[in-house]
Amino acid sequence: MDDHKGSPELFMFLASTVHDMKNSISVLGGTLENLLDHGKGPEQGDPAYPQMAHMLYQTRRLSDNLMQLLALYKEVGKPTYPFEPNTVPVRELVQQVAGQARVLLESKQIALELEFPADLLWTFDEDLVIGVLAHAVNNAVRYTRDRIRLTIVERDGLLELAVADNGMGFPPSMLEAGALVGQGVNFLTNSSGLGLFFASEVARMHKRRQVAGAIRLENGGPLGGGRFVLTLP
Amino acid sequence: MTTTYITASGAPSADIADVDWAEKRYLIVDDFVGIRQLLRESLRNIGAKHIDQASSGGEAMTLLLRTHYDVVLCDFNLGEGKNGQQVLEEARVRNLMIPSSVWLMVSAEKSVESVMGAAEHQPDAYIIKPITEGVLLTRLNRVWHKKQVFREIDAAYIEKDYLRAAKLCDAQVAQHKVHEIDLMRMKATLLLKAGEPDKARAVYERLLEEREYNWARTGLGKIRMANGDHEAARQMFQGVIAENRFYIDAYDQLAAALTLLGRHEDACGVLEKAAKLSPNSVPRQRSLGNTALRLGNVQLAEHAFRKCIAIGEYSIARTVDAYLGMARVCGQKGDIKEALRLLAAAQRDFPGDLVQLRSKITEGLVYHESGDFRRARKSGDELEALLEREPKRPQTATCIEMATLLFAVGVKDAPVELLCHVIRNNHDNPVLLEEVQKIFDKARMGDEGMEYIAAARREANEIMNKGVLLWKTGKLAEAVEWMRDARVRLPDNMRILFNSAQMLINHMQLHGYDEALMIEANGVLMHVDELAAGQQRFAQLVEQLQMLIPGRAQTPEAIDAEIDALRGVEPAA
Repeated sequence: MDDHKGSPELFMFLASTVHDMKNSISVLGGTLENLLDHGKGPEQGDPAYPQMAHMLYQTRRLSDNLMQLLALYKEVGKPTYPFEPNTVPVRELVQQVAGQARVLLESKQIALELEFPADLLWTFDEDLVIGVLAHAVNNAVRYTRDRIRLTIVERDGLLELAVADNGMGFPPSMLEAGALVGQGVNFLTNSSGLGLFFASEVARMHKRRQVAGAIRLENGGPLGGGRFVLTLP
Repeated sequence: MTTTYITASGAPSADIADVDWAEKRYLIVDDFVGIRQLLRESLRNIGAKHIDQASSGGEAMTLLLRTHYDVVLCDFNLGEGKNGQQVLEEARVRNLMIPSSVWLMVSAEKSVESVMGAAEHQPDAYIIKPITEGVLLTRLNRVWHKKQVFREIDAAYIEKDYLRAAKLCDAQVAQHKVHEIDLMRMKATLLLKAGEPDKARAVYERLLEEREYNWARTGLGKIRMANGDHEAARQMFQGVIAENRFYIDAYDQLAAALTLLGRHEDACGVLEKAAKLSPNSVPRQRSLGNTALRLGNVQLAEHAFRKCIAIGEYSIARTVDAYLGMARVCGQKGDIKEALRLLAAAQRDFPGDLVQLRSKITEGLVYHESGDFRRARKSGDELEALLEREPKRPQTATCIEMATLLFAVGVKDAPVELLCHVIRNNHDNPVLLEEVQKIFDKARMGDEGMEYIAAARREANEIMNKGVLLWKTGKLAEAVEWMRDARVRLPDNMRILFNSAQMLINHMQLHGYDEALMIEANGVLMHVDELAAGQQRFAQLVEQLQMLIPGRAQTPEAIDAEIDALRGVEPAA
C-alpha cells in the first residue's frame, strides 16, 4: 500500500511535465489578463477583444483541470495529500476569489455580486476552497447571461458557499452527476465530472466533530439559473 | 452583519492602507523566465519599485548576501541545485533575513514535498500558481499582520523567556481571533519548552475538542513520551499516521517512541517509511543511518548515509555524522581505504577539535570491526596520548564511545577516567549509570566499575552538599564562589549548574543588580540549555533572571499590567 501504482520514473516524468505545462499556462493566462486589463475595454468594439476574453476563459479551464488532475493523482482526500486547515476571514476568501475572476468577468461584461458576513472567521484549507470556488465561478461564466452571485452564509453551524447564475440552469445530466458525486460515487464520465469530483473530495476532507463537508447542484437559484453549493463544517 | 457588493468589476479589493508595499525591496526566485516577468508585473501593479530577480538557488543566495529583502517570492522547484526550501533554510541559518522579512514559497501544485519544510524553517506562507494580485496582496497583508502579533512573543522566545512568551500569547488571542489557533499552538510549544507539560496538554486538548489537528495530537504524544508512557505515546503517533499519512513529524516521533520501547527493528522500519515519503531531511536520514548501523543492516545504513551526504551538499544542515557513519559502513564491508578517505574528508570539511577526535574514534572502531587489531590498538594509543595532553573532556556520548573503543583495544586507565568523568557529571541519571556499568561489565571490570561509579557519585554529592550548606547558612558569597569552582571540576553536571545559577540570582535579589553576575548566570543557563533543553527549572530561572534586568517589571502583577498595556497598544509599523 506504500507504493505508487506504475513506475516511479513515469510518475516523476508526468509530475515534472505538468509543472512545466502549468508554468506555460500561467504565463499564457497572466499575459492575456494584462492585455485585457490594460487594453481598450469591450465597449471600444475591437473585434479581437471578445476572442481574447474567450481565450482567457479557456486558459482558466485548462489550468483548473491540470491542477485538479494533479491533486487527484496525488489522491486529494487521502493521507498522502497535504491538507492544511487554517482560520481565514471570509472577507479575505471573497477578495481572493473575486480578484482571480475580475478580468475575465469584466471582459465578458458579467457582474459579480458578493454577499457575505463581513466579520466571520472560518477554518478550512484556503487554497483548496479558493480552487473550488474559482472553478465554480469560471463554470458559471459558461452558463450565465450577465450576472453571477457568490453568497456565503453561516447556517446551523455550517458555512454555506454558493455560486449562482442567471442562465438556463444546469442540464439534467449534470444535476444527476452532482447528486451521484454527492453520494460519494466515484463519478468521472463527462467533461464536468472532474471539477465536481474534485469539489466533492475537497468538501469531504473538511471534518469537524464527525460532520463532513458536502456539495450539491440546484436549479432555480436566487438569479433563476444554476446554483453550485459547497457546505463546510 | 452581511456585506453586499454589486459592482461591474465585482471585487472588494484587499486592504492595503496599513502597509506600504510600494517601498519594500523584493526578490523573485524562479527558474522560468515567463513566470518571473509575470510576478514582476504583479508586484509593479501593487506599486513595487525595487524588484530583483534570480533564476536559481545559487543566484538567489548571491543576491540575499548583498541585500536585505523585505519580501522574497521563491519557487519551490528550481531545477538543478538547491530547491526553494534549501535556499530558505540557508538564508535563515546565515541570518540573511531580517525578522520583519516575508518569505512566500510558491509552487505549481500542492504536494507533500513542497509544503513540508523543516519545522524550524517554515516559510511565512505558501502560494499555489497561478498567482494573482488579489491573492498575493491578501497573503502579504496577512503575514505582515501576523508578524506584528507575534513580534513580542518571538522576542521573548529568543531570550528563552518561555513563560513570559506564553503569557503574551494569551494576551494576543484576546485581540486577534484570526490568529488564535497559531497563538495557541505557539503557547503549547512554549509551555513544553518551559517544562510545563501539564499546561501544554490542557491547551492541546482544548484545541482537539474543536478539530483534529495533527500537530496537537502529536504534541499530546510527545508529552506522554516525555512522561515515560512510551506505549501510550506510540499508540497516539500511530493514530495520527493512520489518519494522515503525510504528517511526517509523527513518523519521527513514532520512531523515537519505539526506540525507547527497545523496539529498534520497528523504529528502523518507521524511519525507512518516513524517509521514503520525505527523503530530503538530513536529520531523518542520519537517524535512519544510525539506527540501521546499530541493527547491523549495513546496506540500509549505507543507503541512508549516502543520501544524507548527497542532500547535505546543498543544505546548511549538512552533518559530519553522515561521513562518520558511512566510514563505519565501509569498515564493515571491508573497504578500509574508502573508510579512511571519508574520515579525511570529514576532517577537511568540518574543521574543529571535536570532529578530529570523533574521526579518530571512528577510525579505531573501523579497524577493530574489520579485524585489524594492531592498527586499532595504535588508534587507541593515539587517543590515550591525546587525552593526556588535553584536560577538557568532550560531551557524554563521545566520552562513552571513546571509552568503549579504548576498552576494546585493551587500554585500561584512560577509559576508566573517562567513565568516572561521565558519572561525576551525571551523578543522578540512573539510565546512564546503568549504561556505564554495562561497559565496565563488558570490559570484565564489573566489581571495580561499581566502586568507581559509587566513588564518582559520592564526590559529586559532596561538592554539591558543601555548596548548598554554605548557601543555607547564609554564607551566600562563599557559596557562589564554591559553586564557581565546582563548575570547573564538574562542567556538565546539571544540578550543580542549576544550583549555581540559582545562587547567582539569589545574590542579585538580595544585594542588587550586578552586570558581571548577570552575564555569569546567563552563561550558566545557556550551557544548561545546550546540554538538555526543555527543563522546567531552566524556564523558571530564566524568568527570575529577566525580572532582575533594570527597567523590567519586578513582580508577576507588574508583568500582567505590562501585558495588559500591550493589549491596548497598536503595534507600530
